[in-house]
Amino acid sequence: MAAAARSALLNHLRVHVQAVPRNPSYTLSFNAIRRRFLSEEVRGSFLDKSEVTDRVISVVKNFQKVDPSKVSPNAHFQNDLGLDSLDAVEIVMALEEEFGFEIPDNEADKINSISLAVDFIASHPQAK
Amino acid sequence: MASTTASIVPTRSEVLWLFRSLLRTARQFTDYNIREYTKCRTVDGFRQNRTLTDRDALASAFSYGKAQLEIAKRQAIVYSLYAPKVKSIMDIKP
Repeated sequence: MAAAARSALLNHLRVHVQAVPRNPSYTLSFNAIRRRFLSEEVRGSFLDKSEVTDRVISVVKNFQKVDPSKVSPNAHFQNDLGLDSLDAVEIVMALEEEFGFEIPDNEADKINSISLAVDFIASHPQAK
Repeated sequence: MASTTASIVPTRSEVLWLFRSLLRTARQFTDYNIREYTKCRTVDGFRQNRTLTDRDALASAFSYGKAQLEIAKRQAIVYSLYAPKVKSIMDIKP
């Protein structure tokens, strides 16, 4: 008796179901976050070269012994800025602090001009 | 050759390695004063000795620097265990 009533009721009962459109902005932002995590956490991202150049130049200009007017994107540490090898080491250390990553010794030894520093940092995924 | 002091003259790259290692170790100190002192002491020491040419003087300066590096590494660890609770005002970025 109860079972018959239940089946009769279920036969006539209809629940109106409508698909809720998915919010496109939510999907987009979720994907953006996922992409961001994948790219920056795993692969790292490369900095824009002109931004790197500006930041490198400002670091070098702030170095005590450097005459700021002589600093140009092509300046050589020894020949143009009158620095010695100890100063070059100090500048590379300052660049490490500015860009938040460690430059290995063998690479650091090769950096003796602003353009070389910019090339290395711009090609390094961990620089930020 | 006939040198009985067995002084090994450091190469240019070894000196730069020592300089860089000392500066890297200096960065690890948590206390601003000690960190800056170690940096300045390193730079001043290498500047002072940059004109050395005597083999024995070079070798002794290099071995002194290496001993200081070991001390600095050890002290960086010890100081990290007793880091100051309050940051130096110099460490607070505006």
